[in-house]
Amino acid sequence: MQNLFLLASEVAPGESLTSKNPIIPEIGELSYSLIAFVVLIILFKKFGFNAVQKAMAARTERIRKDLDQAESAKGEAEGILSEYKSQLADAKAESNRIIDEARQQAEKVKADVLESTNKEVADLKAKATQDIETARTAALASLQTSVASIAIELAEKVVEKNLDRDTNKRLIDSFIAKVGS
Amino acid sequence: MADDRTAAYAAALFEVAQGEQDLARVEDELFTVANRVRTNDALRDALTDQSLPVDLRQGIVEDLLGGRASPTTTNLVSMIVGAGRAKDLPAIIEGFLERSAGSRSETLAEVTSAVPLDADQQQRLAEALSKRVGHKVSLKVTVDPSIQGGLIAQVGDTVIDGSVRSRLEQLKTQLQESR
Repeated sequence: MQNLFLLASEVAPGESLTSKNPIIPEIGELSYSLIAFVVLIILFKKFGFNAVQKAMAARTERIRKDLDQAESAKGEAEGILSEYKSQLADAKAESNRIIDEARQQAEKVKADVLESTNKEVADLKAKATQDIETARTAALASLQTSVASIAIELAEKVVEKNLDRDTNKRLIDSFIAKVGS
Repeated sequence: MADDRTAAYAAALFEVAQGEQDLARVEDELFTVANRVRTNDALRDALTDQSLPVDLRQGIVEDLLGGRASPTTTNLVSMIVGAGRAKDLPAIIEGFLERSAGSRSETLAEVTSAVPLDADQQQRLAEALSKRVGHKVSLKVTVDPSIQGGLIAQVGDTVIDGSVRSRLEQLKTQLQESR
């Protein structure tokens, strides 16, 4: 077909196709060629077109399948990506939750330790106060005993020094009077 | 059992002593011996030491009382020591004194004084104690300077403590308890 156009372009206006031109074939040759071409087209149409068409359809189908698969893979990838994003978000949320929980736990431990320490300090303080009070009471009692002993020793010395025979006689007389009363 | 034996010895002492003309002297001497044994640890240990021969222990009695006390008193104490009852000597003599006083319808009154009591004081004290307990008492006086002053009288289970030592002890207790 293309050759026909080329041939036509080579023909000057007003010039007949039948004119002698080494390039332009003869009508007969052209007819043969045309017939051969038509035969070839018919044969192609009869024997090759379907195969080509089938191959094209198969290729088109394969490409469509490939496209579908690509589309499906893309969708799947997007799904996986979405899932990963979701999992990542969940992981972040979980990590935040764990961090919060750990923080709360730490706060609780801190509060417990503080409370325990405060209680321990209070107990120690109370015990120290009690020990001091006990020691003070014991010291006071000891002092009182010592004071009493010293006072009695002094009293005994005073009595020993001042309890002469006359005083003792008065004591005895007083005892006799008291017993007999 | 020990009380029965002590009472039996006391009765035996009384049976022997009541034949004496001067029973009061024997009573006084035995009372003095009882006080010495009660207050003198060395003497009590020597007389009660079973490892010492009886003769030696009775010799101690003879040395202490011979010439100072009446023969009756010396013999009675020697008899008790020889019988191995020296540790019960104060109780036996007390039982003897109670029995002796009882024979005169009297109750034994043991009096402790820081200084010796004269006859007038003893008489007035005996009268006062008789009035207090409701019947006549037989007074036995022990001189013990450690009571510092005043008197302590014991009639039966009744003790009347008017000693200076006791008053000082009471004062000490009050001082210690007053907080």
